[in-house]
Amino acid sequence: MPDLFDLPFEDEDGDETRPLADTPQPAAADRPQVPSPASVRQAAPAATRSILSVTELTIRVRDALEQHVGEIWVEGELSNCRVWNTGHLYFTLKDANSQLRGFMFKSALRYLRFKPADGTKVIARGRISVYEPKGEYQLVCEHLEPQGLGALQLAFDQLKKRLEAEGLFDGARKRPLPTLPRKIGVVTSLEGAAVRDIVKVLRARYGNVHLVIRPARVQGEGAALDIARGIRAIGRVAGIDVLIVGRGGGSIEDLWAFNEEVVVRAIVQSPVPVISAVGHETDVTIADFAADVRAPTPSAAAELVVARKDEFRSRVWRLRDRLSAAARSRVQTVGRRLHIAVGRPAFAGFPARLAMRDRRVLDLGHSLTRFTRASMALRARKLLSLERQLATYDAGRRLASLRTRLVAADGRMTGAAIRRRDRALAQVQTVAARLESLSPLAVLARGYAVAWNADKSRVLRDAALVTPGETIKVTLSRGEIEAKVSDRS
Amino acid sequence: MTDTSGTAIRDFETAIAELETIVKKLEEGDLALEQSLSLYERGVQLSRFCHTRLEEAERRIEILNERGELKPAAGALASDDPGR
Repeated sequence: MPDLFDLPFEDEDGDETRPLADTPQPAAADRPQVPSPASVRQAAPAATRSILSVTELTIRVRDALEQHVGEIWVEGELSNCRVWNTGHLYFTLKDANSQLRGFMFKSALRYLRFKPADGTKVIARGRISVYEPKGEYQLVCEHLEPQGLGALQLAFDQLKKRLEAEGLFDGARKRPLPTLPRKIGVVTSLEGAAVRDIVKVLRARYGNVHLVIRPARVQGEGAALDIARGIRAIGRVAGIDVLIVGRGGGSIEDLWAFNEEVVVRAIVQSPVPVISAVGHETDVTIADFAADVRAPTPSAAAELVVARKDEFRSRVWRLRDRLSAAARSRVQTVGRRLHIAVGRPAFAGFPARLAMRDRRVLDLGHSLTRFTRASMALRARKLLSLERQLATYDAGRRLASLRTRLVAADGRMTGAAIRRRDRALAQVQTVAARLESLSPLAVLARGYAVAWNADKSRVLRDAALVTPGETIKVTLSRGEIEAKVSDRS
Repeated sequence: MTDTSGTAIRDFETAIAELETIVKKLEEGDLALEQSLSLYERGVQLSRFCHTRLEEAERRIEILNERGELKPAAGALASDDPGR
């Protein structure tokens, strides 16, 4: 079996320019109708001058290439990238000295993680084949990846898998962000866009922030260690409530420090909740998996921190308004009720009616009046102080006018109550004097006596009503005597 | 009802929760005056506390250096218009 390299490749190539007429034509019967590598090979030893058709040779070359080269990885720079309307990609892979035509089926193209573009250094996987109509060998590419990414991707996948197995990314480990962050830690580069974005958002949305920035290199040699040290340093600062760690956008290599184990572990071990904010929305790093919250960008991380504060601030404002409104309406209700109570006749006549009965009751009446007044005054004072609070709080002019009304009400109430008590006292004194003058005891004092029947159920006004021998009683001014009737007239 | 006006306020979250309860109670409105008053006083106290906690953070940007010292930020970060 002839080897590929036994074929006079160069000569055949050169023959292409030779006119076809010069080439001796083999008899039609000698040539197989359907050229196949097997028949060509069988035919070869038979003739001293083995003559092949272009197709035969091409097929032979194709077979040899496919068998001997097989599936390969090749690196180079993309050029002449073109997607035809069939959806397949055509390109040339080149390095300093050589070029290789390449082709990629639409179906394989779908799985690429990047868009092939001229100038990109890539690693391609595929097999070498020959495009027969043009006699060109080419790479039938099955996979393309940007150079350098392969190793990184592998490291990413392996580390992610390992840390995931350790449970570092578990949802249960995630801490909630603080309700009201007072001191916000930031670990990033002072020269980068991230720190500017964060400060800009915080300034625009919320003036009084307290940021503690720990500068760290975020790319290049030693960046991962620096970031990890920064995270730990922030953890030691008293009063930090939340930590933003990240950087602005960049290539996957630029963001790589955030895929390093030291950084991931520092995030996991941070005593305060960590927001990761690396690159753009589409960039995902292992740090993002470990962080308590992943923000798509540094600006978004800042938004996340202040949004909660904003939300709480408006909630407190709304509650304050409702509190004032509820208290105000309560004050108004009570104010109205006070007016009504003060003006009610029952309230006015009450102590006076009581006073008619008895001195003790009268005293009770007085203390009741005093008590009512005192408790009314106490309520009025409380209302005033409540109002004062409302006024200083935010209630404004409406409350000022309400206060005036309440002060007036208080004044009226006190005056009216005093007048009513005095009137009642005077009434009671008049009644007592009249009672005094009508008292039978006063008459007895003047020497009169009262005669009663034996059980004092009747006053004796007629002598005919008693019989001689009957016992009667006589009430004197001082004391009482029992007497026997001896006669009557 | 017990008078809670003397009770210390634990933290922002419990304060805002208590304030919410108080406002709801006051809005329902069928409380004795004394009770409404003490609730209102407590409410004012709580809302002041929340307000203070919201506004108390200082406007400050500090740099934590390698030696663990806090220094005020200089340059663009410290100015009001960073990196425009």
